[in-house]
Amino acid sequence: MTALTVDAPTQARTADVRLTFGRVLRSETIKLLTLRSTWWSIIVVAVLSVGLATIVAASMSAFNDTANQSAAQLSQLVASAVIAPIQFTMLLAGALGAIAVTGEYSTGMIRSTLTAEPRRGVVLLSKALIVAALLFVVSLLVFFVSTLPAAAIIGTSPIDVADPGIVLQPVLYGALSMAVFAVIGLSWGFLLRSGPGAIAATVGLLFVLPIVGMMFPSEGAWSWISHAALYLPMSAAQSLTVPPGSEGALSIPVALIALAGWVAAGLLGSWAVLRSRDA
Amino acid sequence: MITAEGLTKRFGDKTAVDDVSFTVQSGKVTGFLGPNGAGKSTTMRMIVGLDRPTAGSVTVNGAHYASMRAPLREVGVLLDAKAVHTGRTARNHLRAMAATHGIPSRRVDEVIELTGIGSVARKRAGKFSLGMGQRLGIAAALLGDPQTLILDEPVNGLDPEGVRWVRQFVRYAAGEGRTVLLSSHLMSEMAQTADHVIVLGRGKVLADAPLDELVRSWTTTTVRVRSPRAAELVSLIAGPDVEVSALEPGLVQVVGLAASRIGDIAAEKAIPLHELTPATGSLEDAYLALTGDAVEYVSKEIA
Repeated sequence: MTALTVDAPTQARTADVRLTFGRVLRSETIKLLTLRSTWWSIIVVAVLSVGLATIVAASMSAFNDTANQSAAQLSQLVASAVIAPIQFTMLLAGALGAIAVTGEYSTGMIRSTLTAEPRRGVVLLSKALIVAALLFVVSLLVFFVSTLPAAAIIGTSPIDVADPGIVLQPVLYGALSMAVFAVIGLSWGFLLRSGPGAIAATVGLLFVLPIVGMMFPSEGAWSWISHAALYLPMSAAQSLTVPPGSEGALSIPVALIALAGWVAAGLLGSWAVLRSRDA
Repeated sequence: MITAEGLTKRFGDKTAVDDVSFTVQSGKVTGFLGPNGAGKSTTMRMIVGLDRPTAGSVTVNGAHYASMRAPLREVGVLLDAKAVHTGRTARNHLRAMAATHGIPSRRVDEVIELTGIGSVARKRAGKFSLGMGQRLGIAAALLGDPQTLILDEPVNGLDPEGVRWVRQFVRYAAGEGRTVLLSSHLMSEMAQTADHVIVLGRGKVLADAPLDELVRSWTTTTVRVRSPRAAELVSLIAGPDVEVSALEPGLVQVVGLAASRIGDIAAEKAIPLHELTPATGSLEDAYLALTGDAVEYVSKEIA
Protein backbone atom coordinates (compact mmCIF):
# COMPACT_ATOMS: atom_id res chain seq x y z
CA MET A 1 0.00 0.00 0.00
CA THR A 2 1.30 3.41 -0.80
CA ALA A 3 3.68 4.60 1.84
CA LEU A 4 1.56 6.62 4.22
CA THR A 5 -0.51 8.50 1.71
CA VAL A 6 -3.11 8.32 4.40
CA ASP A 7 -4.30 11.87 3.87
CA ALA A 8 -7.56 10.17 2.91
CA PRO A 9 -8.85 12.22 -0.01
CA THR A 10 -12.30 13.57 0.51
CA GLN A 11 -13.66 13.62 -3.02
CA ALA A 12 -16.42 11.25 -2.01
CA ARG A 13 -17.73 13.90 0.39
CA THR A 14 -18.02 16.67 -2.12
CA ALA A 15 -20.34 14.85 -4.52
CA ASP A 16 -23.99 14.14 -3.87
CA VAL A 17 -23.22 10.71 -2.47
CA ARG A 18 -26.30 8.74 -1.43
CA LEU A 19 -28.50 5.84 -2.47
CA THR A 20 -31.14 6.22 -5.14
CA PHE A 21 -33.17 3.54 -6.90
CA GLY A 22 -31.68 4.52 -10.26
CA ARG A 23 -28.16 4.14 -8.89
CA VAL A 24 -28.91 0.71 -7.46
CA LEU A 25 -30.28 -0.28 -10.90
CA ARG A 26 -27.03 0.94 -12.43
CA SER A 27 -24.99 -1.06 -9.93
CA GLU A 28 -26.98 -4.21 -10.72
CA THR A 29 -26.43 -3.59 -14.43
CA ILE A 30 -22.68 -3.31 -13.90
CA LYS A 31 -22.71 -6.48 -11.82
CA LEU A 32 -24.65 -8.47 -14.42
CA LEU A 33 -22.62 -7.30 -17.40
CA THR A 34 -19.20 -7.75 -15.77
CA LEU A 35 -19.58 -11.51 -15.35
CA ARG A 36 -18.46 -13.89 -18.07
CA SER A 37 -21.30 -16.30 -17.28
CA THR A 38 -23.81 -13.64 -18.43
CA TRP A 39 -22.12 -13.25 -21.81
CA TRP A 40 -21.76 -16.99 -22.29
CA SER A 41 -25.46 -17.44 -21.60
CA ILE A 42 -26.31 -14.72 -24.12
CA ILE A 43 -24.05 -16.26 -26.77
CA VAL A 44 -25.56 -19.72 -26.28
CA VAL A 45 -29.08 -18.28 -26.40
CA ALA A 46 -28.23 -16.44 -29.64
CA VAL A 47 -26.61 -19.42 -31.34
CA LEU A 48 -29.34 -21.86 -30.29
CA SER A 49 -32.13 -19.46 -31.28
CA VAL A 50 -30.83 -18.56 -34.74
CA GLY A 51 -29.61 -22.09 -35.49
CA LEU A 52 -32.79 -23.88 -34.41
CA ALA A 53 -35.03 -21.29 -36.07
CA THR A 54 -33.17 -21.88 -39.34
CA ILE A 55 -33.50 -25.66 -39.07
CA VAL A 56 -37.18 -25.46 -38.10
CA ALA A 57 -37.84 -23.10 -41.01
CA ALA A 58 -36.11 -25.53 -43.40
CA SER A 59 -38.20 -28.45 -42.16
CA MET A 60 -41.38 -26.36 -42.47
CA SER A 61 -40.66 -25.35 -46.02
CA ALA A 62 -40.01 -29.01 -46.88
CA PHE A 63 -43.28 -30.04 -45.27
CA ASN A 64 -45.56 -27.25 -46.43
CA ASP A 65 -46.44 -26.33 -49.97
CA THR A 66 -45.13 -22.79 -49.52
CA ALA A 67 -45.73 -21.83 -53.14
CA ASN A 68 -49.50 -21.95 -52.78
CA GLN A 69 -49.80 -20.17 -49.41
CA SER A 70 -50.84 -16.62 -48.72
CA ALA A 71 -48.39 -14.06 -47.40
CA ALA A 72 -50.17 -14.19 -44.04
CA GLN A 73 -49.79 -17.96 -43.83
CA LEU A 74 -46.10 -17.70 -44.69
CA SER A 75 -45.57 -15.05 -42.02
CA GLN A 76 -47.25 -17.38 -39.58
CA LEU A 77 -44.69 -20.07 -40.43
CA VAL A 78 -41.81 -17.60 -39.96
CA ALA A 79 -43.15 -16.59 -36.55
CA SER A 80 -43.49 -20.23 -35.47
CA ALA A 81 -39.94 -21.02 -36.55
CA VAL A 82 -38.50 -17.98 -34.76
CA ILE A 83 -40.33 -18.72 -31.51
CA ALA A 84 -39.71 -22.50 -31.53
CA PRO A 85 -36.25 -22.42 -29.83
CA ILE A 86 -37.77 -20.92 -26.65
CA GLN A 87 -38.46 -24.52 -25.57
CA PHE A 88 -34.72 -24.82 -24.96
CA THR A 89 -33.52 -21.27 -24.43
CA MET A 90 -36.05 -20.78 -21.62
CA LEU A 91 -33.82 -23.00 -19.49
CA LEU A 92 -30.85 -20.72 -20.14
CA ALA A 93 -32.95 -17.69 -19.25
CA GLY A 94 -33.97 -19.36 -16.00
CA ALA A 95 -30.42 -20.43 -15.22
CA LEU A 96 -29.07 -16.94 -15.89
CA GLY A 97 -31.62 -15.49 -13.47
CA ALA A 98 -30.79 -18.12 -10.85
CA ILE A 99 -27.03 -17.65 -11.13
CA ALA A 100 -27.37 -13.86 -10.88
CA VAL A 101 -28.46 -14.50 -7.28
CA THR A 102 -26.79 -17.75 -6.23
CA GLY A 103 -23.41 -16.55 -7.52
CA GLU A 104 -23.63 -13.78 -4.92
CA TYR A 105 -24.44 -16.21 -2.15
CA SER A 106 -21.74 -18.75 -3.03
CA THR A 107 -19.01 -16.09 -3.21
CA GLY A 108 -20.18 -13.91 -0.30
CA MET A 109 -20.83 -10.97 -2.65
CA ILE A 110 -24.36 -10.74 -1.24
CA ARG A 111 -22.85 -9.25 1.94
CA SER A 112 -21.28 -6.43 -0.07
CA THR A 113 -24.53 -5.94 -1.97
CA LEU A 114 -26.62 -5.74 1.20
CA THR A 115 -24.22 -3.44 3.03
CA ALA A 116 -24.22 -1.03 0.07
CA GLU A 117 -28.05 -1.10 -0.09
CA PRO A 118 -29.48 -2.36 3.20
CA ARG A 119 -33.10 -2.08 2.02
CA ARG A 120 -33.42 -5.61 0.76
CA GLY A 121 -36.64 -5.05 -1.16
CA VAL A 122 -34.81 -2.51 -3.34
CA VAL A 123 -32.05 -5.04 -4.02
CA LEU A 124 -34.60 -7.70 -4.98
CA LEU A 125 -36.60 -5.40 -7.21
CA SER A 126 -33.61 -3.90 -9.02
CA LYS A 127 -32.03 -7.30 -9.61
CA ALA A 128 -35.29 -8.65 -11.02
CA LEU A 129 -35.81 -5.60 -13.24
CA ILE A 130 -32.29 -5.71 -14.68
CA VAL A 131 -32.29 -9.47 -15.32
CA ALA A 132 -35.74 -9.23 -16.93
CA ALA A 133 -34.74 -6.23 -19.05
CA LEU A 134 -31.56 -7.95 -20.25
CA LEU A 135 -33.42 -11.11 -21.29
CA PHE A 136 -36.19 -9.10 -22.97
CA VAL A 137 -33.78 -6.99 -25.04
CA VAL A 138 -31.47 -9.89 -25.92
CA SER A 139 -34.38 -12.13 -26.93
CA LEU A 140 -35.94 -9.40 -29.03
CA LEU A 141 -32.67 -8.82 -30.90
CA VAL A 142 -32.06 -12.53 -31.36
CA PHE A 143 -35.61 -13.12 -32.64
CA PHE A 144 -35.28 -10.31 -35.16
CA VAL A 145 -32.03 -11.77 -36.41
CA SER A 146 -33.67 -15.21 -36.62
CA THR A 147 -36.47 -13.91 -38.86
CA LEU A 148 -33.93 -13.18 -41.62
CA PRO A 149 -32.81 -16.78 -42.36
CA ALA A 150 -36.27 -18.15 -41.48
CA ALA A 151 -38.01 -15.80 -43.92
CA ALA A 152 -35.41 -16.42 -46.61
CA ILE A 153 -35.92 -20.19 -46.40
CA ILE A 154 -39.71 -20.03 -46.26
CA GLY A 155 -39.64 -17.57 -49.15
CA THR A 156 -41.29 -14.47 -47.81
CA SER A 157 -40.24 -11.06 -46.56
CA PRO A 158 -39.08 -11.04 -42.90
CA ILE A 159 -42.07 -9.00 -41.83
CA ASP A 160 -45.33 -8.96 -43.74
CA VAL A 161 -45.89 -5.24 -44.32
CA ALA A 162 -49.62 -5.79 -44.75
CA ASP A 163 -49.97 -7.29 -41.29
CA PRO A 164 -46.77 -6.84 -39.25
CA GLY A 165 -48.55 -8.17 -36.16
CA ILE A 166 -48.38 -11.75 -37.43
CA VAL A 167 -44.65 -11.83 -36.73
CA LEU A 168 -44.25 -8.94 -34.29
CA GLN A 169 -46.80 -10.07 -31.72
CA PRO A 170 -45.39 -13.58 -31.09
CA VAL A 171 -41.86 -12.17 -31.09
CA LEU A 172 -42.75 -9.57 -28.47
CA TYR A 173 -44.61 -12.10 -26.33
CA GLY A 174 -41.73 -14.53 -26.78
CA ALA A 175 -39.25 -11.96 -25.48
CA LEU A 176 -41.60 -11.14 -22.61
CA SER A 177 -41.81 -14.84 -21.75
CA MET A 178 -38.01 -15.12 -21.69
CA ALA A 179 -37.92 -12.21 -19.21
CA VAL A 180 -40.52 -14.01 -17.07
CA PHE A 181 -38.50 -17.26 -17.12
CA ALA A 182 -35.42 -15.34 -15.98
CA VAL A 183 -37.33 -13.82 -13.05
CA ILE A 184 -38.62 -17.29 -12.11
CA GLY A 185 -35.00 -18.53 -12.03
CA LEU A 186 -33.99 -15.48 -9.99
CA SER A 187 -36.77 -16.17 -7.50
CA TRP A 188 -35.61 -19.76 -7.03
CA GLY A 189 -32.14 -18.31 -6.47
CA PHE A 190 -33.37 -16.11 -3.61
CA LEU A 191 -35.50 -18.93 -2.18
CA LEU A 192 -32.84 -21.65 -2.24
CA ARG A 193 -29.53 -19.68 -2.35
CA SER A 194 -27.76 -22.65 -3.94
CA GLY A 195 -26.90 -22.67 -7.65
CA PRO A 196 -27.57 -26.35 -8.38
CA GLY A 197 -30.74 -26.30 -6.28
CA ALA A 198 -32.13 -23.18 -7.93
CA ILE A 199 -31.35 -24.43 -11.45
CA ALA A 200 -32.91 -27.83 -10.72
CA ALA A 201 -36.05 -26.17 -9.36
CA THR A 202 -36.21 -23.88 -12.40
CA VAL A 203 -35.86 -26.80 -14.83
CA GLY A 204 -38.52 -28.67 -12.84
CA LEU A 205 -41.03 -25.84 -13.03
CA LEU A 206 -40.33 -24.77 -16.61
CA PHE A 207 -39.60 -28.10 -18.29
CA VAL A 208 -40.57 -31.13 -16.23
CA LEU A 209 -43.99 -30.15 -14.86
CA PRO A 210 -45.46 -29.40 -18.34
CA ILE A 211 -44.40 -32.91 -19.41
CA VAL A 212 -46.03 -34.38 -16.31
CA GLY A 213 -49.19 -32.42 -17.17
CA MET A 214 -49.22 -33.95 -20.66
CA MET A 215 -49.29 -37.46 -19.20
CA PHE A 216 -52.83 -36.92 -17.98
CA PRO A 217 -55.90 -36.99 -20.21
CA SER A 218 -57.68 -33.73 -20.93
CA GLU A 219 -61.07 -35.41 -20.32
CA GLY A 220 -62.46 -37.38 -17.40
CA ALA A 221 -61.86 -37.41 -13.66
CA TRP A 222 -58.17 -36.53 -13.89
CA SER A 223 -58.59 -33.78 -16.47
CA TRP A 224 -58.10 -31.04 -13.85
CA ILE A 225 -54.39 -31.87 -13.86
CA SER A 226 -54.01 -31.27 -17.56
CA HIS A 227 -56.15 -28.10 -17.25
CA ALA A 228 -54.07 -26.82 -14.36
CA ALA A 229 -50.90 -27.55 -16.35
CA LEU A 230 -52.04 -24.95 -18.91
CA TYR A 231 -51.26 -22.29 -16.34
CA LEU A 232 -47.64 -23.42 -15.89
CA PRO A 233 -45.14 -20.76 -17.05
CA MET A 234 -44.10 -22.59 -20.22
CA SER A 235 -47.68 -23.47 -21.22
CA ALA A 236 -48.91 -19.93 -20.59
CA ALA A 237 -46.03 -18.59 -22.68
CA GLN A 238 -46.95 -20.98 -25.49
CA SER A 239 -50.52 -19.74 -25.39
CA LEU A 240 -49.17 -16.25 -26.11
CA THR A 241 -47.16 -17.29 -29.13
CA VAL A 242 -49.33 -19.87 -30.92
CA PRO A 243 -51.65 -18.62 -33.68
CA PRO A 244 -54.82 -17.11 -32.12
CA GLY A 245 -57.63 -19.57 -31.42
CA SER A 246 -55.38 -22.63 -31.26
CA GLU A 247 -56.86 -25.59 -29.46
CA GLY A 248 -55.89 -26.14 -25.83
CA ALA A 249 -54.44 -22.66 -25.35
CA LEU A 250 -55.31 -19.99 -22.82
CA SER A 251 -56.65 -16.69 -24.13
CA ILE A 252 -53.99 -13.98 -24.31
CA PRO A 253 -55.25 -11.97 -21.29
CA VAL A 254 -55.51 -15.11 -19.16
CA ALA A 255 -52.03 -16.25 -20.23
CA LEU A 256 -50.59 -12.82 -19.37
CA ILE A 257 -52.26 -12.90 -15.97
CA ALA A 258 -50.89 -16.41 -15.37
CA LEU A 259 -47.34 -15.26 -16.16
CA ALA A 260 -47.77 -12.15 -14.00
CA GLY A 261 -48.96 -14.44 -11.23
CA TRP A 262 -45.80 -16.54 -11.45
CA VAL A 263 -43.63 -13.42 -11.32
CA ALA A 264 -45.59 -12.02 -8.38
CA ALA A 265 -45.45 -15.32 -6.48
CA GLY A 266 -41.72 -15.66 -7.11
CA LEU A 267 -40.92 -12.11 -6.03
CA LEU A 268 -43.17 -12.25 -2.96
CA GLY A 269 -41.61 -15.55 -1.89
CA SER A 270 -38.14 -14.12 -2.45
CA TRP A 271 -39.02 -11.01 -0.47
CA ALA A 272 -40.32 -13.08 2.44
CA VAL A 273 -37.08 -15.09 2.57
CA LEU A 274 -34.71 -12.20 1.88
CA ARG A 275 -36.13 -9.89 4.52
CA SER A 276 -36.23 -12.45 7.30
CA ARG A 277 -33.12 -14.57 6.85
CA ASP A 278 -29.64 -13.45 7.84
CA ALA A 279 -27.37 -12.80 4.89
CA MET B 1 -19.98 6.40 17.66
CA ILE B 2 -21.35 2.86 17.76
CA THR B 3 -23.84 2.07 20.50
CA ALA B 4 -24.99 -1.46 21.28
CA GLU B 5 -27.72 -1.98 23.84
CA GLY B 6 -28.65 -5.42 25.10
CA LEU B 7 -27.57 -6.89 21.80
CA THR B 8 -28.42 -10.60 21.63
CA LYS B 9 -28.19 -13.14 18.81
CA ARG B 10 -29.26 -16.75 19.05
CA PHE B 11 -28.74 -19.36 16.35
CA GLY B 12 -31.08 -22.16 17.30
CA ASP B 13 -30.31 -22.97 20.92
CA LYS B 14 -26.80 -21.51 20.75
CA THR B 15 -26.41 -17.96 21.97
CA ALA B 16 -23.68 -16.31 19.93
CA VAL B 17 -24.06 -12.83 21.43
CA ASP B 18 -25.60 -12.57 24.87
CA ASP B 19 -27.04 -9.24 26.04
CA VAL B 20 -24.03 -7.18 24.98
CA SER B 21 -23.88 -3.44 25.58
CA PHE B 22 -20.98 -1.18 24.69
CA THR B 23 -20.09 2.15 23.15
CA VAL B 24 -17.35 2.61 20.57
CA GLN B 25 -16.21 6.20 20.76
CA SER B 26 -15.12 8.38 17.88
CA GLY B 27 -11.57 9.66 17.73
CA LYS B 28 -10.19 6.40 19.06
CA VAL B 29 -9.17 3.03 17.73
CA THR B 30 -11.16 0.44 19.62
CA GLY B 31 -9.86 -3.10 19.56
CA PHE B 32 -12.40 -5.88 19.52
CA LEU B 33 -10.87 -8.98 21.06
CA GLY B 34 -12.05 -12.42 21.95
CA PRO B 35 -11.43 -16.10 21.27
CA ASN B 36 -12.81 -17.77 18.16
CA GLY B 37 -16.56 -18.08 18.48
CA ALA B 38 -16.82 -15.30 21.07
CA GLY B 39 -19.31 -13.38 18.93
CA LYS B 40 -17.13 -10.62 17.45
CA SER B 41 -18.02 -11.24 13.81
CA THR B 42 -21.69 -11.76 14.59
CA THR B 43 -21.72 -8.45 16.48
CA MET B 44 -20.10 -6.69 13.52
CA ARG B 45 -22.59 -8.26 11.12
CA MET B 46 -25.45 -7.02 13.30
CA ILE B 47 -24.02 -3.48 13.25
CA VAL B 48 -24.32 -3.38 9.44
CA GLY B 49 -27.68 -5.15 9.34
CA LEU B 50 -26.60 -8.45 7.81
CA ASP B 51 -27.76 -10.40 10.86
CA ARG B 52 -30.93 -9.41 12.63
CA PRO B 53 -30.53 -9.23 16.43
CA THR B 54 -32.72 -11.62 18.42
CA ALA B 55 -33.02 -8.85 20.99
CA GLY B 56 -31.56 -5.42 21.65
CA SER B 57 -30.32 -2.95 19.08
CA VAL B 58 -27.21 -1.33 17.73
CA THR B 59 -26.84 2.08 16.10
CA VAL B 60 -24.07 4.03 14.39
CA ASN B 61 -24.12 7.74 15.17
CA GLY B 62 -27.65 7.25 16.48
CA ALA B 63 -29.05 5.62 13.34
CA HIS B 64 -29.86 2.04 12.50
CA TYR B 65 -27.79 0.89 9.54
CA ALA B 66 -30.83 -0.05 7.44
CA SER B 67 -32.28 3.47 7.76
CA MET B 68 -29.16 5.23 6.40
CA ARG B 69 -29.52 7.01 3.09
CA ALA B 70 -25.79 6.81 2.35
CA PRO B 71 -24.53 3.81 4.33
CA LEU B 72 -21.20 3.58 2.48
CA ARG B 73 -20.42 7.13 3.50
CA GLU B 74 -21.38 6.51 7.11
CA VAL B 75 -19.80 3.12 7.65
CA GLY B 76 -16.99 1.30 5.88
CA VAL B 77 -16.99 -2.37 6.67
CA LEU B 78 -14.57 -5.20 6.04
CA LEU B 79 -16.03 -8.52 7.05
CA ASP B 80 -14.03 -11.54 8.06
CA ALA B 81 -15.38 -13.77 5.32
CA LYS B 82 -14.81 -12.85 1.66
CA ALA B 83 -17.55 -10.66 0.25
CA VAL B 84 -16.49 -10.33 -3.39
CA HIS B 85 -17.73 -12.23 -6.47
CA THR B 86 -14.79 -14.32 -7.65
CA GLY B 87 -15.68 -13.90 -11.31
CA ARG B 88 -15.55 -10.10 -11.35
CA THR B 89 -12.43 -7.96 -11.58
CA ALA B 90 -11.43 -5.90 -8.57
CA ARG B 91 -12.11 -2.64 -10.37
CA ASN B 92 -15.55 -3.75 -11.58
CA HIS B 93 -16.40 -4.88 -8.06
CA LEU B 94 -15.54 -1.44 -6.72
CA ARG B 95 -17.36 0.27 -9.63
CA ALA B 96 -20.53 -1.70 -8.86
CA MET B 97 -20.30 -0.83 -5.16
CA ALA B 98 -19.63 2.83 -5.92
CA ALA B 99 -22.50 3.03 -8.40
CA THR B 100 -25.11 2.42 -5.68
CA HIS B 101 -24.20 5.76 -4.10
CA GLY B 102 -23.18 7.71 -7.20
CA ILE B 103 -19.58 7.73 -5.99
CA PRO B 104 -17.48 8.99 -8.95
CA SER B 105 -15.12 6.58 -10.69
CA ARG B 106 -12.11 8.74 -9.78
CA ARG B 107 -12.76 7.75 -6.17
CA VAL B 108 -12.65 4.09 -7.29
CA ASP B 109 -9.21 4.73 -8.79
CA GLU B 110 -8.20 6.57 -5.63
CA VAL B 111 -8.94 3.65 -3.29
CA ILE B 112 -7.24 1.26 -5.72
CA GLU B 113 -4.15 3.46 -5.56
CA LEU B 114 -4.43 3.91 -1.80
CA THR B 115 -4.56 0.19 -1.05
CA GLY B 116 -1.89 -0.70 -3.60
CA ILE B 117 -3.92 -3.05 -5.80
CA GLY B 118 -3.40 -1.06 -9.02
CA SER B 119 -1.42 -3.83 -10.71
CA VAL B 120 -4.17 -6.44 -10.18
CA ALA B 121 -7.24 -4.19 -10.42
CA ARG B 122 -8.20 -5.67 -13.79
CA LYS B 123 -7.76 -9.26 -12.69
CA ARG B 124 -10.64 -11.37 -11.48
CA ALA B 125 -10.90 -11.39 -7.70
CA GLY B 126 -11.01 -15.20 -7.61
CA LYS B 127 -7.32 -15.24 -8.58
CA PHE B 128 -6.29 -12.98 -5.71
CA SER B 129 -4.02 -14.09 -2.89
CA LEU B 130 -5.33 -13.75 0.67
CA GLY B 131 -3.45 -10.48 1.13
CA MET B 132 -4.64 -8.98 -2.16
CA GLY B 133 -8.22 -9.99 -1.36
CA GLN B 134 -7.82 -8.28 1.99
CA ARG B 135 -6.59 -5.09 0.33
CA LEU B 136 -9.57 -5.18 -2.03
CA GLY B 137 -11.88 -5.53 0.97
CA ILE B 138 -10.23 -2.52 2.61
CA ALA B 139 -10.53 -0.56 -0.65
CA ALA B 140 -14.27 -1.30 -0.71
CA ALA B 141 -14.60 -0.20 2.91
CA LEU B 142 -12.93 3.13 2.10
CA LEU B 143 -15.02 3.91 -1.03
CA GLY B 144 -17.43 6.28 0.67
CA ASP B 145 -14.72 7.95 2.81
CA PRO B 146 -16.76 6.76 5.81
CA GLN B 147 -16.99 8.34 9.25
CA THR B 148 -16.92 4.93 10.90
CA LEU B 149 -14.68 1.99 10.04
CA ILE B 150 -15.51 -1.56 11.10
CA LEU B 151 -12.70 -3.90 10.19
CA ASP B 152 -12.83 -7.60 11.03
CA GLU B 153 -9.30 -9.05 11.01
CA PRO B 154 -7.98 -6.47 8.52
CA VAL B 155 -4.36 -7.58 8.76
CA ASN B 156 -5.15 -11.25 8.26
CA GLY B 157 -2.88 -12.42 5.43
CA LEU B 158 -1.24 -9.05 4.86
CA ASP B 159 2.52 -8.70 4.43
CA PRO B 160 4.44 -6.68 7.06
CA GLU B 161 4.23 -3.54 4.92
CA GLY B 162 0.47 -3.94 4.64
CA VAL B 163 0.14 -4.58 8.37
CA ARG B 164 2.00 -1.37 9.10
CA TRP B 165 -0.09 0.52 6.55
CA VAL B 166 -3.33 -0.60 8.21
CA ARG B 167 -1.98 0.42 11.63
CA GLN B 168 -0.97 3.86 10.41
CA PHE B 169 -4.17 4.29 8.45
CA VAL B 170 -6.52 3.53 11.33
CA ARG B 171 -4.45 5.67 13.72
CA TYR B 172 -4.69 8.52 11.22
CA ALA B 173 -8.43 7.98 10.74
CA ALA B 174 -9.00 8.05 14.50
CA GLY B 175 -6.84 11.18 14.70
CA GLU B 176 -9.26 12.82 12.28
CA GLY B 177 -12.07 12.08 14.71
CA ARG B 178 -13.41 8.98 13.00
CA THR B 179 -14.70 5.91 14.81
CA VAL B 180 -12.66 2.75 14.31
CA LEU B 181 -13.66 -0.71 15.51
CA LEU B 182 -11.02 -3.27 14.73
CA SER B 183 -10.76 -6.96 15.52
CA SER B 184 -7.59 -8.98 15.45
CA HIS B 185 -6.02 -11.99 17.06
CA LEU B 186 -2.55 -10.48 16.78
CA MET B 187 -2.08 -9.10 20.28
CA SER B 188 1.22 -7.37 19.63
CA GLU B 189 -0.33 -5.60 16.64
CA MET B 190 -3.39 -4.64 18.65
CA ALA B 191 -1.20 -3.33 21.47
CA GLN B 192 0.40 -0.92 19.01
CA THR B 193 -2.85 0.12 17.35
CA ALA B 194 -5.69 0.33 19.84
CA ASP B 195 -6.49 3.01 22.43
CA HIS B 196 -9.39 1.17 23.92
CA VAL B 197 -10.27 -2.51 24.09
CA ILE B 198 -13.51 -4.43 24.28
CA VAL B 199 -13.04 -8.12 25.06
CA LEU B 200 -15.78 -10.62 24.30
CA GLY B 201 -15.93 -14.18 25.60
CA ARG B 202 -18.76 -16.65 25.02
CA GLY B 203 -20.94 -13.84 23.74
CA LYS B 204 -20.51 -11.57 26.75
CA VAL B 205 -18.41 -8.45 27.37
CA LEU B 206 -15.52 -9.49 29.61
CA ALA B 207 -13.79 -6.11 29.62
CA ASP B 208 -14.33 -2.65 28.18
CA ALA B 209 -11.45 -0.38 29.15
CA PRO B 210 -8.57 1.76 27.89
CA LEU B 211 -5.75 -0.50 26.72
CA ASP B 212 -3.16 0.45 29.36
CA GLU B 213 -5.69 0.19 32.16
CA LEU B 214 -6.70 -3.27 30.98
CA VAL B 215 -3.09 -4.42 30.87
CA ARG B 216 -2.38 -2.96 34.29
CA SER B 217 -5.31 -4.56 36.02
CA TRP B 218 -4.96 -7.99 34.42
CA THR B 219 -1.21 -8.46 34.63
CA THR B 220 1.33 -8.16 37.43
CA THR B 221 4.29 -5.82 37.28
CA THR B 222 7.52 -7.53 38.27
CA VAL B 223 10.93 -6.08 39.04
CA ARG B 224 14.16 -7.94 38.39
CA VAL B 225 16.83 -7.01 40.89
CA ARG B 226 20.47 -8.05 40.53
CA SER B 227 22.84 -7.30 43.35
CA PRO B 228 25.95 -8.91 44.91
CA ARG B 229 24.18 -8.37 48.27
CA ALA B 230 20.78 -9.61 47.14
CA ALA B 231 20.01 -11.60 50.27
CA GLU B 232 20.56 -8.51 52.42
CA LEU B 233 18.34 -6.40 50.18
CA VAL B 234 15.55 -9.03 50.21
CA SER B 235 15.35 -8.91 53.97
CA LEU B 236 15.10 -5.11 53.86
CA ILE B 237 12.23 -4.99 51.36
CA ALA B 238 10.24 -7.84 52.88
CA GLY B 239 6.63 -7.01 53.70
CA PRO B 240 3.13 -8.51 53.70
CA ASP B 241 2.35 -7.65 50.04
CA VAL B 242 5.82 -8.24 48.71
CA GLU B 243 6.63 -11.50 47.04
CA VAL B 244 10.23 -12.35 46.25
CA SER B 245 11.51 -15.28 44.26
CA ALA B 246 15.15 -16.10 43.65
CA LEU B 247 15.92 -16.67 39.98
CA GLU B 248 19.63 -17.40 40.28
CA PRO B 249 22.38 -16.46 42.75
CA GLY B 250 22.34 -12.67 43.06
CA LEU B 251 19.17 -12.23 40.98
CA VAL B 252 15.65 -11.99 42.39
CA GLN B 253 12.22 -11.17 41.03
CA VAL B 254 10.03 -8.90 43.14
CA VAL B 255 6.27 -8.54 42.89
CA GLY B 256 4.35 -5.95 44.86
CA LEU B 257 6.92 -3.22 45.23
CA ALA B 258 7.76 -0.49 42.72
CA ALA B 259 11.25 -0.38 41.19
CA SER B 260 11.72 3.17 42.50
CA ARG B 261 11.07 2.05 46.08
CA ILE B 262 13.52 -0.84 45.79
CA GLY B 263 16.15 1.53 44.38
CA ASP B 264 15.61 4.01 47.22
CA ILE B 265 15.96 1.33 49.89
CA ALA B 266 19.14 0.03 48.28
CA ALA B 267 20.60 3.53 48.13
CA GLU B 268 19.81 4.19 51.80
CA LYS B 269 21.78 1.14 52.84
CA ALA B 270 24.46 1.64 50.17
CA ILE B 271 23.72 -1.73 48.59
CA PRO B 272 25.06 -1.79 45.03
CA LEU B 273 22.51 -2.64 42.31
CA HIS B 274 23.66 -4.18 39.02
CA GLU B 275 20.21 -4.37 37.53
CA LEU B 276 16.78 -2.95 38.36
CA THR B 277 14.28 -3.80 35.62
CA PRO B 278 10.54 -3.28 35.94
CA ALA B 279 8.54 -5.48 33.54
CA THR B 280 4.87 -4.91 32.85
CA GLY B 281 2.71 -7.62 31.40
CA SER B 282 1.71 -7.51 27.76
CA LEU B 283 -1.74 -7.18 26.24
CA GLU B 284 -1.40 -10.86 25.39
CA ASP B 285 -0.87 -11.75 29.06
CA ALA B 286 -3.87 -9.64 30.03
CA TYR B 287 -5.98 -11.15 27.27
CA LEU B 288 -5.09 -14.71 28.20
CA ALA B 289 -5.74 -14.06 31.88
CA LEU B 290 -9.07 -12.48 31.03
CA THR B 291 -10.37 -15.05 28.55
CA GLY B 292 -8.92 -18.14 30.21
CA ASP B 293 -12.35 -19.49 31.14
CA ALA B 294 -14.15 -18.15 28.08
CA VAL B 295 -12.17 -19.93 25.41
CA GLU B 296 -14.49 -22.18 23.49
CA TYR B 297 -12.00 -24.08 21.38
CA VAL B 298 -9.03 -24.86 23.58
CA SER B 299 -5.76 -26.01 22.10
CA LYS B 300 -4.02 -28.87 23.81
CA GLU B 301 -1.14 -27.74 26.00
CA ILE B 302 2.18 -28.85 24.57
CA ALA B 303 4.00 -30.78 27.31
